[in-house]
Amino acid sequence: MSLVDVLNVTKEYANGEETIRPLDGVSLSIDEGDYLSLMGASGSGKSTLLNLIAGIDQATSGEINVAGTEITKLSRGKLADWRAAHIGYVFQTHNLIPVLTAYENVELPLLLLPMSAAERRKRVEIAMEAVDLTSRASHYPRQMSGGQEQRVGIARAIVANPTVVVADEPTGSLDDETTEQILQLLSRVNDELGMTLLMVTHDADAGKRAKRQIRLERGRLMENGNETTSTHLRTA
Amino acid sequence: MLGSKLLPWDYGVRNLFRRPSRSALTFGGLTIVVLLVLVVVGFIRGLEKSLAATGNPNVVLVYSLSSAADIENSSIPGSTASLLSASVDGVRRGHGVEYISPELYLGTRITTATVDEPGMGLVRGVTTNAPLVRDRVQIVEGFWPQAGEVLVGRLAHSKLGVQSDDLAVGSEISFDGKTWKVSGRFTAAGSAFESEVWAPLADLQTTLKRQDLSLVAVGMESPQQVADVDMFCRERVDLELKAVAESAYYAALQKHYKPVRMLGWVVVALVAGSGIFAGLNTMYGAVVGRVRELATLQAMGYRRRAILLTLVQEATLLACAAALIACVLGLLLVDGAAVRFTMGAFMLRVDSVGISVACTVAALLGVVGAIPPAAKAMRLPVVEAIKAI
Ligand SMILES: Nc1ncnc2c1ncn2[C@@H]1O[C@H](COP(=O)(O)OP(=O)(O)OP(=O)(O)O)[C@@H](O)[C@H]1O
Ligand SMILES: [Mg+2]
Repeated sequence: MSLVDVLNVTKEYANGEETIRPLDGVSLSIDEGDYLSLMGASGSGKSTLLNLIAGIDQATSGEINVAGTEITKLSRGKLADWRAAHIGYVFQTHNLIPVLTAYENVELPLLLLPMSAAERRKRVEIAMEAVDLTSRASHYPRQMSGGQEQRVGIARAIVANPTVVVADEPTGSLDDETTEQILQLLSRVNDELGMTLLMVTHDADAGKRAKRQIRLERGRLMENGNETTSTHLRTA
Repeated sequence: MLGSKLLPWDYGVRNLFRRPSRSALTFGGLTIVVLLVLVVVGFIRGLEKSLAATGNPNVVLVYSLSSAADIENSSIPGSTASLLSASVDGVRRGHGVEYISPELYLGTRITTATVDEPGMGLVRGVTTNAPLVRDRVQIVEGFWPQAGEVLVGRLAHSKLGVQSDDLAVGSEISFDGKTWKVSGRFTAAGSAFESEVWAPLADLQTTLKRQDLSLVAVGMESPQQVADVDMFCRERVDLELKAVAESAYYAALQKHYKPVRMLGWVVVALVAGSGIFAGLNTMYGAVVGRVRELATLQAMGYRRRAILLTLVQEATLLACAAALIACVLGLLLVDGAAVRFTMGAFMLRVDSVGISVACTVAALLGVVGAIPPAAKAMRLPVVEAIKAI
């Protein structure tokens, strides 16, 4: 079985009389160490799919399996605990906590996991080093540039060594030069740290950096011109 | 019950400094609310204490049967004191003197040197036996009054609505057409006597052209013997006397002031209620601007309960700090402040009861003020909240 298995997932929104169905029975498998970019028109359902995999949204039907856990069956509280251990989320607008320093922001997800203070310190330092911001540890978000803030956001997403790192348009609000920096950083997260990455992007060039490129078109998920499937589904 | 991991304590504390002016305003508002609560509770407690301290169960008050509960209306023959001395057993004595205090008690207009408008005062004509029976009375300055002199209680000036200096030893006051010189001051352990003016009985009787008494206060050996005096009064129907233990008399007055105390508690509730609205308003403001941040924390894996607790912590912290300052201010400014009241003056008390009530109100302000806005923010689905501006 793959690391992430999306099985026949549908997401509907009732909008008055009509029903919007951004995801119409999509299936997808992601292996460990994969780096996927997810593209598609605005409103095609990219964020919806990413949020379902990240466990912060509920599918209308279908199953999602991540590292052997069927997250579609977890209660809200259990799902929160599961996210803490398995998901690293990089937001378009970094979403750092303004009253916490860079160091404290990165440390925040670790406070949810059982580990000693020494272990926590070590992990935060490694993550800060990976994004090359050791010197900014004691700075508050307002004291950093947009690119630096996003790097702290990436450090925060990878610090707990999650099963999957998801990023929803991580370069969406950055200039070209900074975008390049962030994309390189994400590639390194995948190459050097071996983390599994799913990135939503509007930018075709950015999308090409990923090992696999998938597209959402009218509720269907396409890869290299074919509809994606689940390995789980194939073996079943 | 707090199975979920909590946010760092620092996060809540630092959030208070995020918008310092707003936090400061809320802090000021909460301090005023808690201070108001302290004042009202201090009023209630002061009133209770003043009445409770006055009643001595060993002392029996004998006054006229027809005066209902009001001693000011009582008129009994001047001979009642010697009659009681001759007729009842168990009267306490010391140094060869029986503890029997004949008294004339009345409310009258008193004029002081500096104020044109006379104030309503309470005057008690007494003999040297009075301090024996009212054993908490203590002269703290000056001397026992001679003819033409008066002894003033510590709060008499408050009752009159004048400055303490207007009743200083040596100053002159006038009532009932005569000028009196203040010979001394007394305290009485917070009891109602402290708002009275004591004059020599004979002198007062002459001035008022009266020969009767209002009451006779008798100190008994034990509270049981109070019943003997009562029995005597019942048997001698012809005397038209009534005997009531002093403690029972003031307990009845307490009951009389029950509506006032109830009103006091209603005011406490109203003030606390308005404080909660102030707290709610601030927390709504604090939470509305942080919807996305709170969603981020949820996306990270923080449970809703942990986030809710952090918001309650923030509000409670602010409210408790306000309570602390209010209690300090209360002890400095409110405690001991004198208040005029129909039956005398008494002091506001900031005691353990007041402080507990104030702290409870503050904690409630924090918790009740934070939960609704926090719950509202938590109800929004994470995916929607994460897009909030
Ligand atoms: N809470 C909601 N209620 C109703 N419709 C919604 C809701 N959330 C999303 N949608 C609809 O679902 C569709 C997919 O939304 P989604 O945010 O996944 O798009 P997207 O591909 O991420 O778009 P973008 O590139 O603009 O971010 C959109 O048509 C949107 O209007
Ligand atoms: Mg989107």
